[in-house]
Amino acid sequence: MFIDIHVHPNFYEGIDKGKEMFALRQKGLNIHKNSIATIQHVKNQMKCAGLDKLCLLAQDESSLYGQPLVSNQEVAGLVNQAPELFFGFASVDPLTDHWEEELYFAFQELHLNGLSLNLSKLKLYPTDDRLQRLYEICLEEDKPILFHCGCSYEHDTVAKYSHPLEFEEVASSYPKLRIGLEHFGWPWVKDTAMLMLKYQNVYVDTAALFFDNALEFYRYIFTKEYEWTWVERSLRHQIMFGSDNPRFEQIRMAHALDELGFSKKTLDLIKGENAMEFMGIKNG
Amino acid sequence: MAKQVVYQTIWTDQYTQMVNITKQIEEVVQSSGVQNGMVTVLSMHTTAGITVNEGLECLEQDIDEFLTKLVPESAPYHHARLLPDYGSTAGNPTGHLKAMLVGNHCHLLIQNGVLEKGSAQEVYFYEFDGPSKRTYCVILEDFDKTFS
Repeated sequence: MFIDIHVHPNFYEGIDKGKEMFALRQKGLNIHKNSIATIQHVKNQMKCAGLDKLCLLAQDESSLYGQPLVSNQEVAGLVNQAPELFFGFASVDPLTDHWEEELYFAFQELHLNGLSLNLSKLKLYPTDDRLQRLYEICLEEDKPILFHCGCSYEHDTVAKYSHPLEFEEVASSYPKLRIGLEHFGWPWVKDTAMLMLKYQNVYVDTAALFFDNALEFYRYIFTKEYEWTWVERSLRHQIMFGSDNPRFEQIRMAHALDELGFSKKTLDLIKGENAMEFMGIKNG
Repeated sequence: MAKQVVYQTIWTDQYTQMVNITKQIEEVVQSSGVQNGMVTVLSMHTTAGITVNEGLECLEQDIDEFLTKLVPESAPYHHARLLPDYGSTAGNPTGHLKAMLVGNHCHLLIQNGVLEKGSAQEVYFYEFDGPSKRTYCVILEDFDKTFS
């Protein structure tokens, strides 16, 4: 099963709420000149990319926008509408009231598969005391967390809060908490390699296409920043395919993975098996 | 000269795709009431084109292979970068170049209320960066109203 672990459904037809919200979602993601995507169009894109399932991320930074840009209910609605296509990740804003209840609700009632957070936007370090309870709830509920990591192309984000090394203490303090670091933690790609090497509970996603085309950028990451053998021999159980769609080129990134010369086993892990493990979903 | 403009939307479902839109153009012409005039079919995009050719599977394949040879996916293009205005990566230089080669429009005559075209001529909308939502417009010019 080929899974994209990192997709923003902000512009999906099923959750469209009109022009004002569309504009707010554009502002929130810093994505422009785009349009509403029908589910049929999403399916067409998936088919072209060879993808079987997408993991849709809610986006709750209510302390900044006054409301979730994509609510947990909206993500759950999309998943329920097409469970054969989608997994769903919750989002809560720990700087607002009632986030604990919302998180329990997202996990226990909406059955979302994990939590998504962009701390460079909330301007919180991963070690911030206000996040400890959040980690505990994810552990209690056996749910992973996907953290935005490294460069964020969203407005009003500060990279120091999402530097990979800031996550080491969390990985070390909560060895059973499954932590996904997005974007390879670019530009601190070697730092994420170090974290994966030291901590089996740290995963990264491949949602990085900051320069060049998909194949060129993946070659740079996998053969210049990393040695190809680092992945093939040591890190292949902790890398998940992610595209950050609609930011990056989902179809071309999916195809580029096949051009890097990895073994079939490594590709199977990166394309889906690691994501299933990360989400705690048993195969078969 | 009297003009009518009709917008048509299609959803393509492949990366490159030749969509034969001749019937749709004929229907627009028929319902326009124009008896003698000219129709222009115009793509509203920079990575999709309009072309006229014979509607044969073999030719469709030859055209696709010819364009791919001229504009290979693997060449090092400048249009491969994050675009600040979009907030997303440009990965479609081949689409722009192929669309430029094919062109963005075609003209055909209307005679006695029907589309006047050669027996081998079919109108194609050519997708070069799909799947996507696409719009083309059909511009009808009425010669009779010009001269009456």
